[in-house]
Amino acid sequence: MIKISDLQKVYRTEEVETVALNHLSFEVKEGEFVSVMGPSGCGKSTLLNILGLLDDPDGGSFIFNGTEVAHFNERKRADLRKRNIGFVFQSFNLIDELTVFENVELPLIYLGVKGPERKQRVEAVLDKMQIMHRRNHYPQQLSGGQQQRVAVARAVVNNPKLILADEPTGNLDSSNGNEVMQLLTDLNEQGTTIIMVTHSEHDSRYSHRIIRMLDGQTVTENILV
Amino acid sequence: MIKNYFKIAWRHLQRNKSYAFINVAGLTLGITCSILIFTLVRYHLSFEDFHPDTNNTYRVVTEIHHDNLSYTSGTPAPLGKALRNDYSFADKIACVRVFGSPLITVNTGKDIHKFVEQEGLALAEPEFFQIFSFPLVKGDRSALANPNTAFITEKLAHKYFPGQDPMGQSLRIGNSMNFTVTGILRDIPVNTDRSQEIYLSYVNLKDFDSSLAGPNRWSGINNNMQTFLLLKKGTSPAAVEKLFPALMDKYYADTRGHNVFRFRLQPLSDIHFNPNYSGAVEKKYIWALALIGLFLIATACMNFVNLATAQALTRSKEVGIRKVLGGMRMQLFWQFIAETALIALFATILAFCLAQQSLPFVNRLLDMRLSIPFIGDTWLVIFLVLLLTSVTFLAGSYPGLILAGFQPVLALKGKLNQQHIGGFSVRRILVTGQFAISQLLIITTIVIAGQIHYSRKTDLGFNKEGIVLLPVPAPDRTKMDHLRNSLSAMTGVEKTSLCFTPPATSDNELDGFSFDNRPKAEPFNINVKNGDDQYVSAFGLTLIAGRNFFRSDSAHEFLVNETLVHKLNLKAPQDIIGKSIAIEQGARGTVVGVLKDFHNNSFKGEISPVCISQDYRSYAVCAVKLNLARAGGLLPAFEKLWNNTYPEYNYTYQFMDDSIADFYQSETVLLTLIEIFAAIAILIGCLGLYGMVSFMAMQKTKEIGVRKVLGAGIPDILWIFGKEFLRLLVLAFLVAAPVGGWFMHRWLQDFVYRIPLNAQVFLMALFSTVVIATLTIGYRTLRSALANPVRSLRSE
Repeated sequence: MIKISDLQKVYRTEEVETVALNHLSFEVKEGEFVSVMGPSGCGKSTLLNILGLLDDPDGGSFIFNGTEVAHFNERKRADLRKRNIGFVFQSFNLIDELTVFENVELPLIYLGVKGPERKQRVEAVLDKMQIMHRRNHYPQQLSGGQQQRVAVARAVVNNPKLILADEPTGNLDSSNGNEVMQLLTDLNEQGTTIIMVTHSEHDSRYSHRIIRMLDGQTVTENILV
Repeated sequence: MIKNYFKIAWRHLQRNKSYAFINVAGLTLGITCSILIFTLVRYHLSFEDFHPDTNNTYRVVTEIHHDNLSYTSGTPAPLGKALRNDYSFADKIACVRVFGSPLITVNTGKDIHKFVEQEGLALAEPEFFQIFSFPLVKGDRSALANPNTAFITEKLAHKYFPGQDPMGQSLRIGNSMNFTVTGILRDIPVNTDRSQEIYLSYVNLKDFDSSLAGPNRWSGINNNMQTFLLLKKGTSPAAVEKLFPALMDKYYADTRGHNVFRFRLQPLSDIHFNPNYSGAVEKKYIWALALIGLFLIATACMNFVNLATAQALTRSKEVGIRKVLGGMRMQLFWQFIAETALIALFATILAFCLAQQSLPFVNRLLDMRLSIPFIGDTWLVIFLVLLLTSVTFLAGSYPGLILAGFQPVLALKGKLNQQHIGGFSVRRILVTGQFAISQLLIITTIVIAGQIHYSRKTDLGFNKEGIVLLPVPAPDRTKMDHLRNSLSAMTGVEKTSLCFTPPATSDNELDGFSFDNRPKAEPFNINVKNGDDQYVSAFGLTLIAGRNFFRSDSAHEFLVNETLVHKLNLKAPQDIIGKSIAIEQGARGTVVGVLKDFHNNSFKGEISPVCISQDYRSYAVCAVKLNLARAGGLLPAFEKLWNNTYPEYNYTYQFMDDSIADFYQSETVLLTLIEIFAAIAILIGCLGLYGMVSFMAMQKTKEIGVRKVLGAGIPDILWIFGKEFLRLLVLAFLVAAPVGGWFMHRWLQDFVYRIPLNAQVFLMALFSTVVIATLTIGYRTLRSALANPVRSLRSE
């Protein structure tokens, strides 16, 4: 599903040049659950941003579902993103001014899904995530665990092929963290590909494969299954 | 999608109430003023636009070429007839003579009622009603061709003859002439300068003004004796003007008027605006107001852009999330535009209500009858839609582009900073712009106020304090003497004088004259004033040569002013004493005294050569000089005496200083408007400034904490803010001062006697904005400076 080859990303300021990704290459197959680990500054987040088409690589190739997407323009990237990729963040990133229902509805609005169908799909996913009873609450009225479930619901509402999770349990206690990991595992078992950046060895054990990075390069790959 | 935009916009505003208040308040004030200014501008521009063929309608006006060029909206009375007989360029020609406010007596059979109509009355030829659209609802326009017939408006018909048929009723004008109502006009619209509501037969002109009415009275021109033409289609006014020299040759052969008068055609659309011909308002003032309206909208939009851009950082997370979820740059841009449109729409609705509420005040202030109809006014609707769209895009585009351009990764990580929202530079430019607009308006206010104060307080060369002007409605010598003698006998009355006009008036009579034994008439006109032997002492005029005249009934002795002596090229005032003057209208006499120059015009006009004589037939005013310490209760006594003397007339009076103030009425109104708009511009600016300084204080919380920990005192912290705004103020001043100076220099050119445009004016403007800015930001900056650094650093 994903094939990156020789991927490079360099951040430059007037005086300093920081290599974030250094000729990185790996593949992720459809239906895989991959954890990316490594110390702070090793390039995990940069990798996730490029995989999520939020950032451009400076060099190399990024093939998504057989198409080279490394140098797509903003419009194409946004279109590919909203149809294929769901995001789960450490800090949930819900819009404070929107209710639970409206937050989850947002990707469908950008997809152009009509109102009645939107309602049906949002209610279905909220039901599945067991937060239907909180549909009219605002994010600040929810616990961290509930907020992350809303974020997961929002990530999956448009049935993406790929979910990118950036430290999804980083702001949660262990109980809520385990719940979220279970949700991701369930989604993966239903066929969604998941790439998760994490510092947590515990969380990484939910995945099939761990890619360990250092200084923008892959250092090891562990297959857990 | 749109619903989602408005939903989030509404909730965002609810969560940021102070931000919403500042923006809505600023825009509301700006839009309110714009609606009022639009209504005012439109009102003036709509003058005379309802007549059947406005583009082909002209007024014949006269240029007077003496040693200087002057203008009059009047023409000789025979001109209309001559044009009709000699030329065929016009479809219609009509002569009109307007008179002030004569007494109108209505005898209903049971009672006698007396009225004075402020708009006066007009004597008009029937064709007048084919040139102008003042339709008759009863009667036929040809009826006005008959002598002693009258048309009145429906309003006056109801007023004079309530419950009766006005047709065939009688009106007595000026206690001397009877007219029969033969037509009822539809009420006169507000947007015309032809505001008279009574039209009398032009055939009766000789009864009102015998000096002008003769068939050969080509030398007499009165401002209010006017000739209107409706040119034939395809006839250009220039072609018509080319025919006038031949007309001059025919009717002014061998007379002074041949070289002095030049007839011109003035388009109907120019009449309301041309100051040369006593237009009501100059177009430059209309455009100045429109410019101020634009300034106010601009300053409100600047506020919006400033605050919205500053606030953009707080919206970065939302923008990041939307982009991650597939939102594109243009979608985000339109989202912010929709949000701005919501605020602007709310502000426009509020502004519309506020404009309607403030309209009575504006109407009182401007003495107008403006209206802002709620529905059915297409132009207002178009204006509001355009205004709303412009404000939305002016205010929303820049912050929208900034927001939509956020990198999602940086936005989500909260790593956006000042540089990502255009740095301080854009907002500095906008604040500078706001300060500049405020300073420009303050400079304008100071200069206009200064000039008006100067005009009112400067020694005019005569005394205007404590003088009451009572009308003398009829040239009845016995009654005049009775009035004067009775007034003189009252305790508290120092002097009384019967005269034609006071020393300074807007109603000056100019006439040609010959001096001494010079063979030709002088090449300039003289301002003829009539007054009795008390005129000099009652008005405190100063005699510098010769003597005052002895009391007399006829004009055989003259007093003149210094300007006349100079214009006659005489070396000293004494040189004119004993010389004769022959005024064209007929009076001839000897100069017995020379008066020190006094301002006989407003400060817009130079002091004219003046000649004063005694002629009781022209006396229209009795000036009463009061001893202000003993004047209590005198006004009711004047009224009683006057009513006893002239029981058939209505009593009025005016203080001389009010009459002088009337010279500067348009400037006073302009000043009041600019004061109000300047105050609003400053208020909008202050709202924005407060918002900006609040945002800066929030941004600088950590910096202030660190500085205080390192030993900075409160003044040091205050200076962080102070220097920023002071710098912008000075920068704004560098823009506003030359622009304001240029505008005001041009405005002052209208005044022959004017204040100097010195540095003090500009420094006052700078100083006042510094004070206003300090007061605005003072509280917020002081609160930041006094904050406990431990708390601010802990929160970081």
